[in-house]
Amino acid sequence: MSELTADPYDITVKSNGLRRRKIVEKAFGVLAIGSAVLACTILVLVLGTLVYKGFSQLNVDFFTKARPLFGEKGGIADALVGSALIVGMAAVFAIPVAVLVAIYMSEYARPRVSRALKIVLDVLNGVPAIVVGIFVFGILVVGHGQSAVYGAFALAILMLPMVARATQEILEVVPRSLRDASFALGVTKWRTTWNIVLPAAIGGILTGVVIAVARVAGETAPLLFTTSIAASQISTDVSHALPTLPVTIFIFSESPDPGEQAAAWAAALVLIAFVLVMNVLAKLFAGRKRRQLEGS
Amino acid sequence: MKRILAAGLVVLAVVALAAFAGRTQSASAKPTAGSLVGTGATFPFPLISKWIPAVDQALGMRITYTATGSGAGIAQITARTVDFGASDAPLSPDQLTACKGCVVIPWALAGMSVPYNLPGVNKRLILNGPVLANIYLGNITNWNAAAIKALNPGVSLPDQKITVVYRSDGSGSTYAFTNYLATVSPQWKSKVGVNTSVNFPVGTGARGSAGVAGVVKSTEGALTYVDAAYSIANKFQFALIKNRAGGNATPGVRGVQAALCDLPAKVTNLSQLKIVDPPKKCGRVAYPISTFTYVIVPTSSGDKAADLRKFVYWAVTAGQKFGPPLYFVPLPKAVNGFNYREIKKIQAGS
Amino acid sequence: MTSAAYENNAAPESDLRRRGMRLGDLVFKGVAIAAALASTVLLIWIAWKIFDLAWPAIQDFGLSFVWTEAWDPVTNTYGALIFIYGTVVTSLIALVLATPLSIAIALFLTEIAPKRLAAPIATMVELLAAIPSVVLGLWGILVFGPWVRDHLEPWIQDTPLGWLPVFSGEPSASGIFTAALVLTIMIIPITSAICRELFIRVPRDLTDGALALGSTRWEAIRGVMFAYAAPGIVAAVLLGLGRAFGEAIAVNQTIGNHNAIPSSWFDPGDSLGSKIASEYVGATSLEQASSILYLAAILMVISLATNVVAQFIVVRFERARRAV
Repeated sequence: MSELTADPYDITVKSNGLRRRKIVEKAFGVLAIGSAVLACTILVLVLGTLVYKGFSQLNVDFFTKARPLFGEKGGIADALVGSALIVGMAAVFAIPVAVLVAIYMSEYARPRVSRALKIVLDVLNGVPAIVVGIFVFGILVVGHGQSAVYGAFALAILMLPMVARATQEILEVVPRSLRDASFALGVTKWRTTWNIVLPAAIGGILTGVVIAVARVAGETAPLLFTTSIAASQISTDVSHALPTLPVTIFIFSESPDPGEQAAAWAAALVLIAFVLVMNVLAKLFAGRKRRQLEGS
Repeated sequence: MKRILAAGLVVLAVVALAAFAGRTQSASAKPTAGSLVGTGATFPFPLISKWIPAVDQALGMRITYTATGSGAGIAQITARTVDFGASDAPLSPDQLTACKGCVVIPWALAGMSVPYNLPGVNKRLILNGPVLANIYLGNITNWNAAAIKALNPGVSLPDQKITVVYRSDGSGSTYAFTNYLATVSPQWKSKVGVNTSVNFPVGTGARGSAGVAGVVKSTEGALTYVDAAYSIANKFQFALIKNRAGGNATPGVRGVQAALCDLPAKVTNLSQLKIVDPPKKCGRVAYPISTFTYVIVPTSSGDKAADLRKFVYWAVTAGQKFGPPLYFVPLPKAVNGFNYREIKKIQAGS
Repeated sequence: MTSAAYENNAAPESDLRRRGMRLGDLVFKGVAIAAALASTVLLIWIAWKIFDLAWPAIQDFGLSFVWTEAWDPVTNTYGALIFIYGTVVTSLIALVLATPLSIAIALFLTEIAPKRLAAPIATMVELLAAIPSVVLGLWGILVFGPWVRDHLEPWIQDTPLGWLPVFSGEPSASGIFTAALVLTIMIIPITSAICRELFIRVPRDLTDGALALGSTRWEAIRGVMFAYAAPGIVAAVLLGLGRAFGEAIAVNQTIGNHNAIPSSWFDPGDSLGSKIASEYVGATSLEQASSILYLAAILMVISLATNVVAQFIVVRFERARRAV
C-alpha cells in the first residue's frame, strides 16, 4: 500500500524514526498474519484430530447401535435420535415466539418499548446456559422427572433471543415501500405482516434459525439437568429423558477406555459435521436474502 | 429453496424411520411389565450393566440407569425425579428425613481399589491406611517418600510427584474411601471428615469412576480410589493394602468376603454394616476398603411399587450371581432378612 | 426506527370497518404482545427462580459468602471466593491473550489480506466459533491438556515468566492455565468477528487522510481506526469476557476441579460454572444445594453486569457516532 520509500532528498528521512517505524510496521504485519495463521492452525488441529481419531469409528454399527453399557461396544444411534428430536422440538418451541416478538418490536411497538425489549432479549442471550439448565430443572424436572421435552424447552430458551434478534434485524431491512404499498391497497396490518413482510424476510429469518440450531445442537449444560438419565437404547419417547450427542460426548470425554474415547471423537465429528452443514446453509440463506432484497 | 426444505424433510423422515426401526429391534420380548428409571452411584455400574439385559429377559422390565454419582442418586430420588436411586453411602439421618420415607437396601458389595500410574515400577506396591491418609492430606508428596519406601523394601521408587485424584461429583466411593481414611487417621477425621463430597486438601477432581480412572491413565504418578471393576477393566496396577492382621490384601472376591467376618449373624439395621478397616481376626486376606452399595426406594412408590419390589428382590437374589466375574461379592446371608423386610415396605402408598 | 406511525394510521378506515379484519389485527397484535410479554416474564422468572432456590444459602451466609474461601460439605461451610477466583482469573487470562490476537486477526482480514484470501479465512475463524464447547473440552482433555503439561508449561518455566509465582508450580494437564487457554480459543472468534465489523465501518477517508500525511499503515490504524472504534472494541472485549464467564462445560473438563485458590496457575482450581456442573445434581443437603444456587446467582449477576456494561458502551458509542 502506501509505504514510504527512502527518498534521499526528503528531509523526513534524516531521522532514525523512519527505520523504527518501518520495523514497527513490519512487526505489525507479522503479528496480524501470525494471528490469523494461529487461528486457522487451531481450527485445523481440532478438526484434524476429530477426523483422525474419530473417522475410524464411523461404521454402520456406530450409527445403528445404542450407547454401550459397561465394557461393551456400541454406537450413537440413540443419541442421534435423541438430539434430533430435542433440537427439533426446541426449534418448534422457539421460532414462533421469537418471530412474534420480533414482529412486535419491529411493526407495533413504540420506540422506547422496542428498545426495552431489545435489552430484555440481549440480557436473555447473556444468561449462561448452565443457569438456564438449573432454571428448567427447578421449575419442571423436580417432582416430575427428566424428559426430552424439558430439555427442548431449555434449548428453546437459548434459541429465543438469537432468532428474535436475527428476525428483528431483517424485518428492519425490509423496505418501508413494501408495507406502504400494501396499506395503500387496503390490506390490513396483520395480513401485510404475515403475507408480505414475513415472506420478504424469510431468508434472514432462516439464517437466524439455522445459526441458532447450530449453536444449541452442541449445548451440553442445559441438557445435563433435564435429559441426562436415559436408557441406552434407541427411543422416541419424548416424555422420558433421551440420550443426546453433547451429553454422550461429555460423558465419554472423561473415560479411560480408549474405545469410549474413540466413540467420543466420532460423535464429536458427527456433531461438528452437522454444525458445519448448518453454517453453510446459513450462508446460503443469507446470500439468498441479500439477493431477494436487492432485487425488490 | 424448496429443494433444501425437501432435502431436510427427507433427512427427518429417514431419521424417524431409523428410530422406529431401532425401537422395534431393541424392544423387549415381553411387553407386559413396565420400565424403571434410576440413577446414582458409578461404583455398581458394571454390575447393573449386566443386570439390565438380564432383568429384561427374566422379568420383562426395562431398566434405565445412568451413573451420575451417589450424591445424585440421593438427591434425585429425594426430589422424586427418578424411580430409584443408588448410592454407596448410606443415608444420614438428615437425608433420610429429607427423603420422606425411603428404604435403603444393600444390593451389592465390592472392594475399592487404589490404582496408580507408575510405568517404571513392575511390582505391586504395598500401601497402608496412614500412608494413604497422608498422601491425600498432602503430607506425602512424592512416590519415593520414606514412608512408602518402608512399606516396599527392595522396590526402586521413582522421584515422581504424586498426583492425587479424587471424585469431583457427589460420590459414594468418596464416602467409603474417606470413611476408611477417617478410621485410620485422626488427622483426616478432624481436618477433612467423611461425606460423599469433601474438601480434599490436595489433588485433581474428575467426574465419575470413569473420570478418575481416565486421569490416572493419562497422568504419570497419579493415584486414585475406584471400584475394583474399573481398575481391572483398564488394566491398572492397584495397590495392596496392609490390613490390621498385617497381610497385604487385594480387592478381589476373597479379600472382600474376608472383611465381612465381623458382621452380626442377622443384620437388623444399616449401622451394623461396618466393614471398613476390619479387625485382626478377619485374617490376612481381608481387604480394608470394602463397601456395600445401596438402592434407595421410596416407600410410597405409586404404580411403580410392584415393579420396584420385583426388581430389587431379583437384584439381591438372582442378580448376585453376575457379581463375581466383576469382583462383586454375593451378599452375605446376614442381610437377607433385613433386605426382604425392607423390600416389603415398598408399597404404592398415598 | 419502528413503525409507530403505522400503528396509528394503519390504513384508510373506510376499508377496515369490516369486523372480521379488525379482529384479525387485534388477534395478531395480541399474540405478538403476548410473545413479547412472555419473553420478559421468562427473563424475570429465571432471575427470580435462581434467587429463590439460593435463598436458604443467602439467608445462612449473607453477603460474606462472596469472599469466604471455603467449600466443605462435611461441615456445611460454603463460600464463593474459590470459584469467583477461578472464573475471573481464567476469563481475564483468556481476555489478555485473546484481545490482541482477535484485533490482529480482524485487522488482517480487513487491511492486509487480499480479498480472495479474506473470505475463506474469515469463514475459518467463524467455524472456530461454531465448535461446541463440549468438543473443545474433549480436545482439551485428550490432546491439548497433555501437550500443555508436556511442552507449553515447561517452556514457560524456562522463560523469565517462570520466575513469577503463578507459573512456578508443577506442570499439569488440567488447571487454571489450561482452562484459560481453552477459553481463549472460544472467545477469539467472537471478539474478532465484532472487531472486523467495526473496522469495516471505519470511514475510508479517515485512514486515507492519515496515510496521505505520511503515516505507515500501522500508525494509521493505531491512530485512526482504534481511536474511532475504541468503544466498539471495548464492547467486543466485554462480550467475549461475558462468554468466558458463563462457560461451564469446557472449563469443567479442563480446570481440574479442586476446591482451592491455587498458588500456581498450572495447578487445578475450579470456577463458578464448572462447580455448578459438577455438584448440583449430587447435592445431598439443602445447604449444599442452595449454596450451589448461590454460586449460580453470583454467576448470573457477573454475566449480566458485563453484558449490561457492554450494551451501555455500545449505546454511548452509537450516540457519539451520530453526533459526529
